[in-house]
Amino acid sequence: MAHPPSKSRNLKKKEPRSLNLIPIMNLFIVVIPMLMTVMVSVHLAMIQITLPTVGDEAQVNENEEPPPRIILVLQTTGFEIVVGEDVEEEIGLLEAEEQFGNFDYESLNNRMKSLKEQYEKQYTVDILPDPSVKYDTLLKSIDICKFNGFQNIKYLTSSRKIYRASKK
Amino acid sequence: MKRTAIVVNRKPGGPFEPRPRGKKVKDLNITSLIDILTILLVFMLKNISMDAIQKNAPEGMLLPTTITKDELIKKGLVVNVKIYTDKILFGMDNFRIGSLDEFTSNQEVRKNLLSLLKIEADRITNTGSIPSLLIQADKELDCRYITDFINFSASASFANIYFSTIHTDNLTEVLGL
Repeated sequence: MAHPPSKSRNLKKKEPRSLNLIPIMNLFIVVIPMLMTVMVSVHLAMIQITLPTVGDEAQVNENEEPPPRIILVLQTTGFEIVVGEDVEEEIGLLEAEEQFGNFDYESLNNRMKSLKEQYEKQYTVDILPDPSVKYDTLLKSIDICKFNGFQNIKYLTSSRKIYRASKK
Repeated sequence: MKRTAIVVNRKPGGPFEPRPRGKKVKDLNITSLIDILTILLVFMLKNISMDAIQKNAPEGMLLPTTITKDELIKKGLVVNVKIYTDKILFGMDNFRIGSLDEFTSNQEVRKNLLSLLKIEADRITNTGSIPSLLIQADKELDCRYITDFINFSASASFANIYFSTIHTDNLTEVLGL
C-alpha cells in the first residue's frame, strides 16, 4: 500500500516575523528632543567660603600646639604666602605675557602641597585679595588651596595690609 | 540538455508565465538607527540634571573654572545673585539692582539691595532653613566688588557664601599648563 503524500509538502515556509519597531521609534522621537533640551552641557559647581568669626581661636585644643595660620595674599604682582607672622614666600608673576593670566599657579600649587605636608592638621587658609585682582584669579587660588587639602577658605574682607616682615 | 537559471511559474498545462517582479515592498532596516538612538538615550539620561541652579548657567557671563566643588550645607536655601561686568541681577527672576558703579556709589541702590537681601534671609530663616548666598560673577570682575558684596551680604545675615563655577576634572586647565 502506498503511503499518502507527506503533509509537510504543503506547508509553506514561514518567514520570520519582523519586530514592530514603530512604537519604540515613536517613543524615541518624543524622548530624545526632550532630553536634548534639558541636557547639561556645562557642569556648574559651587565653591564655599567662610567669613572670619570671633570664636575661631577658641576651638583650638590647648594641649596641642596649634598649626600656624596660613594667609594667602593675592597681589597684582603675584602671590604672597604668610605662615604665622612671617611672609614665607612670594610667588611672582610669570614672565611670558601669554601665560595664563600671568599668575604662576603651578608654583602656588607646589607650595600649597608642601605646606599641607608640613602642617597636616591645618585645614584653613585665609585669603586676602587685592581689590584689583581679577575674580578668576581669586577662584583659581581658592581651588588650588582646596585641591591640596585646605578645605576651609576664610575670605578676609578687611582692608588691612600685610607688610613684609624683615627676616633676620 | 541545456538548463536555464530562470525560475518560472508554470501551471500544469498552462502557458509560460514569468514570475511577477517589483510587487513586494521591502521593509526598511531601522535596526542600526534604533542602536544609535538607544546609545543617545543612555548618554542623555546620564547627563540630565534636574537641579535648576546647576542647569542654568547665566547667559553672557564667563564663569571661572575649578576642579573642586562643595555641596550646599544641609537645610541650606540659596539666594542667587548674578554680578556681570555692567549690572547686578538679583534672584531667580533676575531683578535688576543696578550697575556696579551704582552699587559702589549710590546709597539708594545699596539700601534697596540690603533690604532685598534681608527680606530673603528672613524668609528662609522662617522656613527653618539656613540662608545661603550663591554669587555668580564674571571672571573678569575685580575682587573689590566681590569683597564689597560679601561684606554687604554678611550684614544681611548670609553667613554661608558660595561662588558659582564651571566644574572640570582637568587640573592643568586650572593651573594654566
